[in-house]
Order: sequence, then structure tokens, then C-alpha cells
Amino acid sequence: MALALPAAVFTALLFLLPVTILLSEAFTINGEWSLQGYVDFATTPLNQTVFLRTLKLGALVAFTSAIIGYACAFCIVNLEGKSRGRIFGLVVLPLMISPVARTYAWIVILGRTGIVNDTIVSLGLSDTPIRILFTETAVFIGLLQLFLPLMIISLVSSMENLPRDVISAARVLGANWFQVFTKVILPLTKDGLVMGGTLVFTGSLTAYITPAILGGSRVLMLETLLYQRVNVANDFVSAGVIATILIVMCFAANLLLKRIAKARS
Amino acid sequence: MSDAYVSLQNLSLAYGNSIVVPDLNIDIREGELIALLGPSGCGKTTTMRAIAGLMAPHSGKIIIDNVDVTRMPANKRGIGLVFQSYALFPHLTAFENAAFGLRLQKRPAAEIEERVTHWLATVDLVHLADRKPAEMSGGQQQRLSLARSLVMEPKVLLLDEPLSNLDARLRLEMRTELQRVQRDTGITMVFVTHDQAEALALADRIVLMKDGIIEQLGTPDELYNAPRTVFGADFFGFENIFEVSGQDLIGAKGKMPVAFGVTAGHMAWRPGAVSVGSGPWEGVVTGVAFAGEKREYVLDTDLGQIKAATDASDPAHQIGDRVFFDLPEAAAFSISG
Amino acid sequence: MQYKWTSRLVIGLTLTFLIGPFLIIVLAGLSAGDFMTFPPEGLSLKWYLKVFTVDSFRASFTLSMFLAVFGTIAALILGVPAAYAISRYDIPFGETIKTIVAAPIIVPGIIVGLALLRYLVVPLNFTVTLALFLAHTALVLPYAVRVVSASLNNLRSDMEEAAVLLGCTRLGAFMKVVLPNIQGGVLAAFILGFVTSFNQVPVSLFLSGPGVRTLPIDMLSYMEITYDPSVAALSALLAFLSVIIVFIAEKFLGFSRYV
Repeated sequence: MALALPAAVFTALLFLLPVTILLSEAFTINGEWSLQGYVDFATTPLNQTVFLRTLKLGALVAFTSAIIGYACAFCIVNLEGKSRGRIFGLVVLPLMISPVARTYAWIVILGRTGIVNDTIVSLGLSDTPIRILFTETAVFIGLLQLFLPLMIISLVSSMENLPRDVISAARVLGANWFQVFTKVILPLTKDGLVMGGTLVFTGSLTAYITPAILGGSRVLMLETLLYQRVNVANDFVSAGVIATILIVMCFAANLLLKRIAKARS
Repeated sequence: MSDAYVSLQNLSLAYGNSIVVPDLNIDIREGELIALLGPSGCGKTTTMRAIAGLMAPHSGKIIIDNVDVTRMPANKRGIGLVFQSYALFPHLTAFENAAFGLRLQKRPAAEIEERVTHWLATVDLVHLADRKPAEMSGGQQQRLSLARSLVMEPKVLLLDEPLSNLDARLRLEMRTELQRVQRDTGITMVFVTHDQAEALALADRIVLMKDGIIEQLGTPDELYNAPRTVFGADFFGFENIFEVSGQDLIGAKGKMPVAFGVTAGHMAWRPGAVSVGSGPWEGVVTGVAFAGEKREYVLDTDLGQIKAATDASDPAHQIGDRVFFDLPEAAAFSISG
Repeated sequence: MQYKWTSRLVIGLTLTFLIGPFLIIVLAGLSAGDFMTFPPEGLSLKWYLKVFTVDSFRASFTLSMFLAVFGTIAALILGVPAAYAISRYDIPFGETIKTIVAAPIIVPGIIVGLALLRYLVVPLNFTVTLALFLAHTALVLPYAVRVVSASLNNLRSDMEEAAVLLGCTRLGAFMKVVLPNIQGGVLAAFILGFVTSFNQVPVSLFLSGPGVRTLPIDMLSYMEITYDPSVAALSALLAFLSVIIVFIAEKFLGFSRYV
């Protein structure tokens, strides 16, 4: 107890307390308790758009990374010892590299004079460069690249725990590959899926760098909106509201996915 | 109880609110080899941990060599413990593992060298002194763990399931080793086991425990041949135990009329005491196993299941056969409880 | 046979998507031209060299290094005992303590930065650097606790009891028996913490003052003003640094299992 206390007190005092005060500020206007901040926030069309876009992108990135993740994790798990470790290392590697660097690369690729546009123009598919940067597509691609490794890692580690030969057993019992996936692999790796899904979804909700660089002020997400509200308008009530929404969504995602995991087991 | 070297008096042990051992009294003589025997959850390991000082008793006293050690911290008690998992230090060589305690006492280097080498030699590990535990076999790790405790010349040596992690051949070797060390050093040893054969083979006296209570305390002979309770009889191989009530023998499935001299309590037969092929009752063979010198049968009878064993040279019966059998009173062991 | 090729294709495409962009910025940074283009207009090392002469990069690199090293050390000083208590003892409010310590992972960093700015820096006159240091420590703490706990859980607790029975105090047993055997985990925690702190952006977003900026923040603001290849060069250099650290860590610690 005495050993764990300093860490807990440190975090509680220097971390949770200031955050709690910030959140409570969204409930007070001119010193009085009020929900007006939330009402104002919810009735502004821009905020609605940003809120829905953040949810949509988060869900889309989580879903896409699950599909790619399963294919990739399945292939990795079936590799032989040495090359498996190497490939897994390459998947982990991007996580260690600055997200700024990781996102910056997409400007070079997706920009007006980037690789994609050069290719499109030189192939004659379009006369002028098309806009990819500062669209939801760009943000989606950036987020997917940022968080895909988390999904693959989660799925690989839960697939490693699959009992040996269950897949062969299912095949011998007459299951086709689709049935093997839905009836054997999916139920047995759902913990990894839930874990990866939570990480990717909440990661996407709370990402700042990617929407800032690849979305700009055209494709605002909740985090970039919060930054803008504070820096441009000095609007701490909106900031508190957005903060509350973000935290509630993160906790809700955690709880919901835990609940799903429990219910199905 | 003047000759008690280790004395547990009214010892009560609990984890949080759940009492594991309610009121335990055991006296152990100096130089004795005692087995705490019982199924898992009977409180034997908890008792051992309390003697070592790894858990504080709820109430009661622990006295070792006339000193009340009940409140003494584990690192001051001078008790050795050989863990079931050996608990060797993976980052240290065999020599340094064995020297660990002496180094803490800041003994002179020459003394450490001499004592450690002596005990490593005793367990035949001198040639592996520079190896790390991971580079040693299970049996070697076990012996190193023993040497590490013995180097400290403990007042009492506790052993937690000392043979359970070894294969059959090593088990026999280690058993001999333990007996030799005990005879040479005269050290008082307490070992915990769930294996009755191990306890019978090693111990001077056995403490049979169930649910934190002593069922019986005595020599291997007494426990094997004269169990005092149904539990004890069952534990030591009386596989057929039935209640006697008046002129009836009562089993799990039903009763059979008998005319025994005993009219209350329990009667118990080892499989070999049941005669198959002749007798007043009939049963159906539901299982046969050939076990070298014996042939083992499972019979379905009016009493319920009966386990029998006959000489392999006797005529064999097949599954499904109806056979006569007898539970002879003369071969039975009677338990008054 | 068919499966083998499909498998290679899947892995190849995924890795291209994950790692390909870095190769592109490495090359983009090698451009001899003044603007970001790909393929680069001629090859030169000038942008890679320019990175080292930009004053603000030097200052922000130093700050980021300071935060990453000392924030992580502070987190380990708080985190190792906490991990030990949580994994070894059935402490009262254990779950509550775990939740509190883990909170910085769940709470979005940008909110933390804003909260610290508003309630520590402004009213209590904390310097921005101190606030950054505290925030980075709190942020790294959960990783330190998690990684160290994982390696503690692989270590059987009866080893400590064995040490105590041989005469150690509890503290002695920890120093002599536990610590030497979780070295790898502590080192892995340090590396993970260092990288996490060094690359951290959202927390530092609001916690910047005149001359006080972490490197990633500095890069973001440099990008807004200038569109020359120096940020690509710097990104590539940072990526190389990470690759080297991870490579060494993987070689000696089997690092990827701790992530």
C-alpha cells in the first residue's frame, strides 16, 4: 500500500484533479451551475458535423483495421519462427516513430504535387491534380496507418494463444474457410479484437496530429476543434464540453467493448 | 512435553476472514522427520508457512528450541525451507545461490568457500558450482535448493512437496538423499506432501490433516495398519469402506444383510482382502485391469461399487460376468467411528 | 503453394502501407530543390545538414530529450514500487489505485495539457517546463507500471520468501533478488517511456511558452510556415534514431513483447 501510494497520489493530484476541474468548468457559466454550455454546443451545426465526423472516422478506422488486421495477423502467425519475429518487429516499429514524422510523409504522397497526383495526371486520368489532402479520405488514411499496428499486435498475440490444430480440426470436420473464421477463429480471438478495437477507436477519436496536418481547418475533428476553440476564441466552456465528450466516449468505448467481450464468452 | 523441539500450541491460522486451521497442537522432537500429510486445502502448507514465519498466526504459539518465535520475523528464525518450485535465484550461479545467506551474514570469504563447497559436495553438485539454475536439470535444481538451505545449518528444515516435481527414478534417488542427509546431520525436518506413499516411506511420524484438523498423528505403521477414522482408512488404501448398522452393511447403493460380531461403526477392506470367485454374494464385473502380479476388478454390487484384486494366476473374469464374492469379517478392519 | 503467395502478398502490402511512407520522406529530404517534391529534384544532403543549424530545433530537441529522460526516470521511481506492491500484495484499494495510475492512458492528452496550463501554470506560477515534466511523468507512469508488472508476474514470488528465510529483509530481498531479475523489464519500460514521451504531442500542445517547445511541436509549427524539405529530413533522422533504439532493444531484450 505504502509503495503504491506515491504513484497514485502523484497521478491523482497532478493529473486527475486538474482534469476534473476543467471538466466541471463546462457545467458552470458565470459562476453558476448550468447545462447551457452543452446546449449551445449541441445546437451549433459545425459542432454536430465535427462530432459525427469524429465518430464516423473512428468507427471506420477501427473496422478497416480489423479486416486488414485479421488477414495480416493470420499470415504472421503462420510464418516460421525467425521471419515471424522479424515481420512482427517491422509491424511494431512504426509505433516507435514520431507520429509527426509518420503523418508528414502523407503530405508528400497525397499533396497537390505528390506521388498520387503525379501518377493520376501523367496517366491522363485527370487534367488537373485532384484534392486529396485536407479531405476525410486523407485523415482516414493517416489514422489507419497510425493505428493499424495496434490492431495487428493485439490480434497476433491472441492468435498465438489459439490451441494448436483447432483450425485443422475444424477443416477436417468439414468447415469451409469462412466457417473456420466465423465459428473458430473469431470466437477464440475476440479478446484480441476487442482490445485492438478499443485502442484503435479511442486512438482515432483523440488523435490530434493527423487531423491537424492532413485535415487542417477543413476537416476538423473534436481534438482540433478543441484546440481551435481555445486558441482562436479563448472559449473554455466549449473546450470543457468537448473534453467531457471525448472522455465520456473513451470510457464508454472501453466499457462497451468489455461488455461485449463478457457477454459473448 | 519437555522433549518437544518444535511445538505448535493452539495454533490458529487464517487468510483474511477464512480460518484454514482452527486449533492445532503438534509437538516435534529434535532430529525427527515429520510429514504433514493431507489432500490439498487441508492446511498443511499453511501450517508450514506459519512455522517458517511467512504468515502470522491468528492466535496460538510457535515454540522452537524453547524460544517463542510466534512474533519473530522470518529472516531471524533460522529456519530453512525448500520450496516446491525450488525458488532458486536465476541471476546467480549455483555457488552464489548456496552462498546467499552466508554473504548476508558477512562471513569471511574462506568460511563461505568452505561451507558452500562442503554442502555442494554433499548433494554432489560441486562440479556444477558455476552453472546458473536454468542450465541445471530438475533434480540438480532440487538438490541445489536443499544445499542452499543446509548451508545455513537451520534449526528446522521445512520441505514443501519435495518430490512432487521429479520423475519416478529421481524421486527414489531424492528420497534416499533426504534420508541420508537427515541421518548424517540429525536436523529436524518437516515436510509437506499429499502423497501417502511418500509420507510412509520417509517420515518417522505422520500428521494426517483434513480441513485444518489433525485426523491422526502416529508412525507410518499405525497410520497404515490402524487408521482411526474413515478418512484415514480411505487415504491409506482401504478402498471398500461400509457402515455397519446392526446386522446390515450399508453402501452407497443399498444394504446387504451380514452377521458380523461388530454391530456399529465402519468396516474396511483393502482390494486384496475381497475374495472373488466364491462367496455368498453376487456382483457384475464392470472393469478389469491387469497389474502384473495382481488383477484388479471393479464390481457392481447391491452395496455399490467394490474394488477387488486377485492373484494374476487365479482364473480371470471378463467385463459383464456375474461373479460371487465375499467380504470376510476376518480380513476386515473395523473403525469404531 | 497458393496460400504461401497470398500470405506474402498480404504481409507485403501491409508493410508497404506502414513503412513505405518513411522511405519516401527519407528520399524527399535528400532533395536538392527548395520545396518538398517527390521524386526529389536532384540529390543533396543540404537539408539533412540544415536541420542541425536551426536554432529552434536544437533548443526543442534538448527540451524533448530532457523531458524524455528525466520524466521516464521519475516515472520509474514512482512506478517500480507501485508495480511491485500491486503484483505482490493484496493491497486495500488495489483496483482503485490501478485505475488511477492507468488514467493518463485513457484521458486524451490535449485535455491534460489544457488542464495543467489553466490550473497549475497560470494560478500557481509553475514554469511551463515544470508542468511539462510533471505531465510527461504522469503520462509515462502507466507504461512503466504495466511493463514492470509484466516482468514481475513472470517472477515467482517464492524467490523473495526464500531470500527472506536466508536472512534478507523485505527491502533486501527486493534489491538483491527481484531487481536483478527484472532488469530487462525496467530497461524495456525505460525505452518505451522514453519513446512515448519524446514523441508526445497533444499534452505539450498547450504547454508551450516563449522558447519552450518540445521537438514535435516545433516541427508542427515549422511546417505551417515553411514548406522546405528540412522537416522531412528531420523526420527521417528521428525515424532512424527510433529504428536504432528499437533494433538494439529488440536484440537484447526481445522488446516487442513488452509493447
